[in-house]
Amino acid sequence: MGLTWKATLLPLLWGSAALPLEAQFDFTLGGRPVQIHSFASQGFAYSNQNNYLTMKTSRGTFDMTDVGVNVSIQLTDKLRIGAQAYDRDFGSLGQWHPQLDWAVADYRFKDWFGIRGGVVKTVFGLENDTQDVDALHTFALLPQSVYPTDLRDSLLRHRGGDVYGDIPLKRLGALAYTAYAGLRQDGLYGGYPYLLSGSGGHLTSYGGLQVGGDLRWTTPLRGLLLGASHAGADVSGTGSWTLAFPGYDPFVIPYEEHSKRDWTHQFYGQYTTGNWRLASEYRRYWRDQVTFSEMWEVTTDVRGWYASASYRVSKRLELGAYYSRWVVSWVNTMPGLIPAADQSSPDRHLYDKVVTARFDLNTHWNLKLEGHFMDGYGGTWAYPSGFYTADNAQGLKPRTNLLLIRTGWSF
Amino acid sequence: MPCLKKHSLLLAAALWNLMAGAAPATGIQVIANPSVTATAISCEEIKGVFLETRTALSDGSHVEPVLLQSGVVHRAFVKEFLGKGDAALETYYRSLVFAGRGLIPKTLESDAAVVQYVAKTKGTVGYVSAAASVAGVKVLDIR
Repeated sequence: MGLTWKATLLPLLWGSAALPLEAQFDFTLGGRPVQIHSFASQGFAYSNQNNYLTMKTSRGTFDMTDVGVNVSIQLTDKLRIGAQAYDRDFGSLGQWHPQLDWAVADYRFKDWFGIRGGVVKTVFGLENDTQDVDALHTFALLPQSVYPTDLRDSLLRHRGGDVYGDIPLKRLGALAYTAYAGLRQDGLYGGYPYLLSGSGGHLTSYGGLQVGGDLRWTTPLRGLLLGASHAGADVSGTGSWTLAFPGYDPFVIPYEEHSKRDWTHQFYGQYTTGNWRLASEYRRYWRDQVTFSEMWEVTTDVRGWYASASYRVSKRLELGAYYSRWVVSWVNTMPGLIPAADQSSPDRHLYDKVVTARFDLNTHWNLKLEGHFMDGYGGTWAYPSGFYTADNAQGLKPRTNLLLIRTGWSF
Repeated sequence: MPCLKKHSLLLAAALWNLMAGAAPATGIQVIANPSVTATAISCEEIKGVFLETRTALSDGSHVEPVLLQSGVVHRAFVKEFLGKGDAALETYYRSLVFAGRGLIPKTLESDAAVVQYVAKTKGTVGYVSAAASVAGVKVLDIR
């Protein structure tokens, strides 16, 4: 059903919405500039083996749709306010539950010092705060080793504040810094709640304090940007767990988990020259979580990196490729869940080779064809990597090829 | 080198024109509303203003960028002063607006429209071809 109406109706709706959206994007109110912008994308995913990212990709699916709209107003030379709503339906992710993506008041005292508060997109690495906007990227799916779309909530935004600024260094280039603190509130239609639901868990809240920063250096070598990000979190989740034992009726117990230690590092670089863009990022996520009301401690060490290259062949065509590598280790696990000792085991890694062609049909509309050649399926039982046992009841295969066709609009 | 010297810009614009089969350009002028007290602007400042990392010049004048929508002068300016291609600049501005970190700057179709807008809008900085009439605006020296 999802395939039928989405395949036909949504592109038509967006196509018909395109012109009026474009026409009303920029106007003034009381002499101050107001801008309304929006983006949307529709994907088709088909895999030869495992179902991926909670979608029924092995059958071919159009269940990959998202949309966002924002309004921003420059109230004074220094004060800007704005907000963006975002919604998506990627398999079981999102399920058309809209999110307030950001809602910010931003006051820039000086170029080297500004503050912004509200619901703020987290500056973290090259693509974190724009990862949902398909039109901004060469690739239909960003490298999942660093930007896992099923776990995007964990670093996407915070309710709190940032201090930020840009500091020119004359011959040494320029530095941009952001430091932030706030509350992270994960959506309940993301990958982690979905993972738990596969074994009886039902989260009703998940989030907590998050503190971090980002420092990026525009180097004197033209086109070269280097940076590092860090975030620490104190996260707790509550809900219930349904237990079922043979011969007994299922029963429900309260469930609680919380961080003992939770941090993420990211290091990144980007080089642009002519029509080339080269980028690479490394992320390490350390997650020490006490689960089942202090009963078990699960310590997960996730490391991922990618290297990408893209080349704009012409105004209408861009080609790209990346290699993405994700590995997971467990220091502590729950009893009975024994991970493979060897990193080469498919449940401990996910390597992805990707090639893409992006066609810019006009300034606002693009179409991407992308092939993924994946080795491994990562940690399916304690920390997700895109492959879920609930979607692959027949058992996960060690290799998956995936075709993605995605079209996106932005105005 | 943050941006090319003036004679290099002239050459770049002329080459663009030759390749496009158009009449040779005579260069680029960076212009500002008369409210801007600075009389000169550095390459670093131009880059900062047009990439929205800088909202004031070194003399403290608040500034906002205005761009040409397309054309030889626009492409030469974007490439040489901002170090980006046209598509990359468009993507950059959209990333600001979709991440909640800025607005997309005003773009206008012609030199005349840019000059007219800059002349009447406090704090604006733009660029036009050297052949454009610049009545009502201030031409900034590029340091």
